[in-house]
Amino acid sequence: MSPNTPTSSSGGTGSADSSAARRNSKRPKYSRFTQQELPACKPILTPRWVISAFMLVSIVFIPIGVASLFASRDVVEIVDRYETDCIPQRFRNDKVQYIQSSEDKSCNRSIKVPKRMKQPIYVYYQLDNFYQNHRRYVKSRSDKQLRENSSADDVSSCKPEAYTNGKVPIVPCGLIAWSLFNDTYSFSRKNQQLAVNKKGISWKSDREHKFGKEVFPKHFQSGTLRGGADLDDSIPLSEQEDLIVWMRTAALPTFRKLYGKIEVDLEADDVIDVTLKNYYNTYSFSGKKKLVLSTTSWLGGKNDFMGIAYLTVGGLCFFLAMAFTIVYLVKPRQLGDPSYLSWNRNPAGH
Amino acid sequence: MDSKRPAENSLNIESGFASTTRRGIAANSVREVNFGDQHHHHHHRGVSTKHVRYGSRATDSEVFSVSQREINDEDARLVYINDPGKTNERFEFAGNSVRTGKYSILTFLPRNLFEQFHRVAYIYFLVIAVLNQLPQLVVFGRGASILPLAFVLLVTTVKDAYEDYRRHRSDRIENNRLALVLVNNQFHSKRWKDIQVGEIIKLQANETIPCDMVVLSTSDPTGVAYVQTINLDGESNLKTRYAKQETLSKFPEKDMICGLIRCEKPNRNIYGFQANMEIDGKKLSLGPSNVLLRGCELKNTGWAIGVAVYAGRETKAMLNSSGASCKRSRLESRMNFEIIVLSVFLIALCTVVSVCAAVWLRRHRHELDFLPFYRRKNYSKGKVENYNYYGWGMEIFFTFLMSVIVFQIMIPISLYISMELVRVGQAYFMIRDTQLYDETSNSRFQCRALNINEDLGQIKYVFSDKTGTLTENKMEFQCASIGGVDYSGRKGISEEEHAGYSVRVDGIIFRPKMKVNVDPELQQLAQSRKNTIKCKQVHDFFLALAACNAIVPLVIDTSDPTTKLIDYQGESPDEQALVYAAATYGFMLIERTSGHIVIDIQGQRQRFNVLGLHEFDSDRKRMSVILGCPDKTVKVFVKGADTTMLSVIDESVNQNTLHATEVHLHAYSSMGLRTLVVGMRELNPSEFEQWHTSFEAASTALIGRAALLRKVAGNIESNLIILGASGIEDKLQQGVPEAIESLRTAGIKVWVLTGDKQETAISIGYSSKLLTSTTRQIIINSNSKESCRRCLQQATATAKKLVTVSGVTCDTEGTSVAALTPAALIVDGTSLVYILDSELEEQLFKLASKCSVVLCCRVAPLQKAGIVDLVKSRTTDMTLAIGDGANDVSMIQMADVGVGISGQEGRQAVMASDFAMGQFRFLVPLLLVHGHWNYQRMGYAILYNFYRNAVFVFVLFWYVLFTCFSLTTAITEWSSVLYSVLYTSLPTIVVGILDKDLGRRTLLKYPQLYGAGHRQECYNSKLFWLGMMDTVWQSLAAFFIPVFAYWGSTVDSSSIGDLWTIAVVILVNLHLAMDVIRWTWTTHAAIWGSIVATFICVSVIDAFPSLVGYWAIFHVAKTGLFWLCLLGIVVVALLPRFVVKFLYQYYSPCDVQIAREAEKFGNLRELGAIQKEMDPVLDRPQR
Repeated sequence: MSPNTPTSSSGGTGSADSSAARRNSKRPKYSRFTQQELPACKPILTPRWVISAFMLVSIVFIPIGVASLFASRDVVEIVDRYETDCIPQRFRNDKVQYIQSSEDKSCNRSIKVPKRMKQPIYVYYQLDNFYQNHRRYVKSRSDKQLRENSSADDVSSCKPEAYTNGKVPIVPCGLIAWSLFNDTYSFSRKNQQLAVNKKGISWKSDREHKFGKEVFPKHFQSGTLRGGADLDDSIPLSEQEDLIVWMRTAALPTFRKLYGKIEVDLEADDVIDVTLKNYYNTYSFSGKKKLVLSTTSWLGGKNDFMGIAYLTVGGLCFFLAMAFTIVYLVKPRQLGDPSYLSWNRNPAGH
Repeated sequence: MDSKRPAENSLNIESGFASTTRRGIAANSVREVNFGDQHHHHHHRGVSTKHVRYGSRATDSEVFSVSQREINDEDARLVYINDPGKTNERFEFAGNSVRTGKYSILTFLPRNLFEQFHRVAYIYFLVIAVLNQLPQLVVFGRGASILPLAFVLLVTTVKDAYEDYRRHRSDRIENNRLALVLVNNQFHSKRWKDIQVGEIIKLQANETIPCDMVVLSTSDPTGVAYVQTINLDGESNLKTRYAKQETLSKFPEKDMICGLIRCEKPNRNIYGFQANMEIDGKKLSLGPSNVLLRGCELKNTGWAIGVAVYAGRETKAMLNSSGASCKRSRLESRMNFEIIVLSVFLIALCTVVSVCAAVWLRRHRHELDFLPFYRRKNYSKGKVENYNYYGWGMEIFFTFLMSVIVFQIMIPISLYISMELVRVGQAYFMIRDTQLYDETSNSRFQCRALNINEDLGQIKYVFSDKTGTLTENKMEFQCASIGGVDYSGRKGISEEEHAGYSVRVDGIIFRPKMKVNVDPELQQLAQSRKNTIKCKQVHDFFLALAACNAIVPLVIDTSDPTTKLIDYQGESPDEQALVYAAATYGFMLIERTSGHIVIDIQGQRQRFNVLGLHEFDSDRKRMSVILGCPDKTVKVFVKGADTTMLSVIDESVNQNTLHATEVHLHAYSSMGLRTLVVGMRELNPSEFEQWHTSFEAASTALIGRAALLRKVAGNIESNLIILGASGIEDKLQQGVPEAIESLRTAGIKVWVLTGDKQETAISIGYSSKLLTSTTRQIIINSNSKESCRRCLQQATATAKKLVTVSGVTCDTEGTSVAALTPAALIVDGTSLVYILDSELEEQLFKLASKCSVVLCCRVAPLQKAGIVDLVKSRTTDMTLAIGDGANDVSMIQMADVGVGISGQEGRQAVMASDFAMGQFRFLVPLLLVHGHWNYQRMGYAILYNFYRNAVFVFVLFWYVLFTCFSLTTAITEWSSVLYSVLYTSLPTIVVGILDKDLGRRTLLKYPQLYGAGHRQECYNSKLFWLGMMDTVWQSLAAFFIPVFAYWGSTVDSSSIGDLWTIAVVILVNLHLAMDVIRWTWTTHAAIWGSIVATFICVSVIDAFPSLVGYWAIFHVAKTGLFWLCLLGIVVVALLPRFVVKFLYQYYSPCDVQIAREAEKFGNLRELGAIQKEMDPVLDRPQR
């Protein structure tokens, strides 16, 4: 091709043209942003980096695991399953009939304290196989009604426990309130009554904002089918703490609810006599009932899972760190080594 | 001269966004224009239902059928000149008011919603929302279920409303413009919207034309009007329009004009118009050169009077205002398959839930009445009835539907919206890239189609036009062969000597605007007035160059009042170059009207009557003009391509000259010059008469005028004396050889399809480094089917031999095999006529895929499309077509990706393209850099979106297994709605727009990295399935760690729900963070910001006492267990991915990974060394 420079050029107006062109040039303005050249950090997984990351994880996780395990071991927990034992022998074949009958439901249990328990000792009831998270159940409540006296009629979401006798709205309405747990426990040690503090067992936020001070139970448990506990019509909902606790529906089918606190220390080998009223019907769905006395730690109740999980993960990471170190030493690859490029690996064809 | 390029040259991001939905905003007076019947080809990829013949004969019959149609009175529109009442009484022709706004205030909402719901995704949304409203199925509250759909609809509606408002505003401005309309024999101002068909309109200079009108008369006594069509097709040069002889002397104010125009129905072809006019008892034919189209501007003409024939929405400009073609990217089509897989997952999950629910209900059927958490019976009313229980079967059915509602985001609806946003962002960066800005034409990169950005990263075939694409299409007259003598002025000429030719008339110097290299010997001959044969030949040659064209000379004032420049305006750059050359040699075209031309010959003004002009057409490939010379002789000058010219030259005369010219022609084209042959003939009076009558008859004919005219032209263009040939250089664009080399190194096959001659094509092949001296050329050049078949068989055998000799076996990975095979296939258009659409296609394709280079020369526009289709239909590889002219439109639309060069040949190609840019070499940064990035980003974004939604769904699903399969969600409904809208959406979009796996310099330096797209490294089913396994693992970790930690505790569902929400959001964002390659502050802000935003949102949601989860987050966040769970979840969930990722990157690194390491640790130089060693490998044949 000819190396000649082109001889064509625009005529005399050229300079004027070009200055005009410069003025309305559409050249995009240069900025590091528009050219996608913002300062950036480009981390790359180098073996050293990865091994240190694993080491770091194991260094963090193993102590946490040990601490959690200790915390869990420190918790003293007494679990007493009573739903079968508290049925008189003659009713054992038809528990539902017993629970629905007007027989005396009292039941005496004695439990032994295995280790010294420091106050406060939390008293829980635990239900198994009770699906407080069932859709029909969780929906059947009216938060508005619980909060404001004026919304007593707001029961549309409470079916099938919205009205008694077809038209009178229930306060508090809904299946959840209706099925309020009503077993009661009283404790004595060496024939001395152990006080159970039932104040402050619910969330403060619930007492103050979710359950109204002006809202009193009305027509509660007056329907054909009795679900659970009755409520004192003279106490406002904000002070009905058992209800408040119960209405915080549990996430899982096995759950505990706080019943009260024992605010004295229990010594090892103390024998606690529990007098309980076995009112609550879990027999129709073969649910279990347990009474739980437990101290608490920074991690909550007794549960080894966290500790074991952290120890396992920490250990695994340590192992991986070691394994990678060995592999790295045995078979290193230089980072950015061009001989690994696909077009270098097989120059013949690939 | 063209400092004002079309306004739509730069597509701003806003209008780009609009065109994804339906059409661009057109704030200008004229909307985007599309051409011809190309809309037929706007099919989705792969569903080419219409059979298109790619032979060249198709065009012929089309032309013929058009003229056939025209006579049919039912199909014609009758326009009574100056009688709008009569014109409009029978048929309601459209008024001239335009409405580009789609909606009115009343229709806006219903129509807009209707259009939005054309998207399947929205319908899915809607169905789910409706299902949720059924009392049996209420899963989410009303608000929460409608919110996402409402949000998306609202955003789109607001956007559409704004666009439509702008359209209405521009319509209003447009409709209220004023024009002079003849009413009661006087011209009055009238608003555009009131103009009716049939009215006579007067236009002043520089006015915009309000509707399509037939020219009646102009200020020019010969009836010429010049228009600039920049608004219509973007071409900035002036076009000539003519008034008919019979009307040009009429003045509507004085003498009544009465007549009837019978024209075709409105259509969108802006280059065609068929009509005839009856006036004063005469029947005249009208063609495209007699109409002024709406949107054009009248230039260089004092005034023009015309009659409106099409108005308003029936004008060609408005009929052409339709959006860009709708293509779907490869990645998106592949993605749809995975969407189906996800739907199967969804159905599977729902089935599992309903089966389990069925079993549970069956098992507990006797207890349901009493279960405190079920309570089938409602005792509160008088009689006991079932509450919300419709029998076992129905309950299962409802469970199924409810689970669809709960798990709906398994199908990532938000993906479609984020993909759109990501593409807009990517387009923004492509448009803003300074490397894609063309200085010479002052044009930015344009993204006309917004949904195929990522296809740019997977291109395997590039089909390129030659003229204007590889070359600059700035023609320069280089050399001439006149009378068998070659004048290639290559001797050094000092600057002063070719200061340019100029003439002085009345003290004013006229000078052509462009200067041309002159050959001194030739100049001497041209200037001499000796009467030798040689001189006469030279004289005739330049006269032919000056006269035989459609160039309009424009006189431009300069700063110096005594000097004027002559600017030659015309549609063909070749003609311009030739006229400039003639002017430089002293044959300066000064004036052109429809009836005569004035040429200044060596200082003497001479007037030639133009008795007839046979325009250029692609079949004859030549044009001719019949001139009445001052010496009363009549001559026909013909100029055309050598193949067609040599056949009409009288071989008996001057055989030596002919032979010498042929030799020169061959030499010129081997140099890569474009050649034209010029011939002439003197007509004797009888010949002239005969021609004249047949020409008149043909040009007023109503049936098949084009064919008749062609026949007349064919008769007169015969027995010519050869004058000579010209060689015009079309220089290669800057950086073309390097660009092509880069593309080929990247494993992209470059095919050149050109209309040029074989020799020219081959020489361009050499200069652009497509061909090297060792390349074995396989030429297929035959003119019958049989010989084609033989040729192909031979060629295939040859190619096979070459392949085996060079030791390369065909491999499936197809990385850069082609680059190693030293064979080039050269096919010409004639052979293609026989090959395309026949069983030989397959053979051609096989042969072509064995060759590293394919050059197709002499191909017609439809054949270009045929070749693209040849590849497209036989491979799954992506094709890209790049071109600049109208002849490339079909190919651009056929290819998966069409790129238009906004060059010299108008803007048809740009209008039809998906992307437009100024230079061929921009293809390299476009594909290797932006394409690579876009592909990587989009591929990752899609996979990540699948993962992000699925992980959430799986967490919901595991929980359902613990709720008696009753589809309770512990996560609040607001959080599950906001999850994909707010909690996790921004980071994917930011990363999808901004993440870069490799720097621009690395990508340009190692084009092989482009292979990542070919190998589908960023999106494939392996990645999808691995991702899904990872998803299940992560969801298990996120779900079960809290379950075990809180088993048998007092935790309530709101608290644990908040824990799950936050855990999943952190998990998903950290997962993304782990994969981000380049952390800029935006990435940091998006990822950490999302996590913080989630905490804030969850807190806000838990601050409403009316919601169940009141204050739960504050209670649970106080406990150490919560934070231990979060930490544990993140580490456990991400551990496998981290390990696998590291092992893969370290022990089986892909190219991109290695380049990234090299980029980071600075041993790019080492790669450079390798690169240099590699060169000979790639160009192995050279050794």
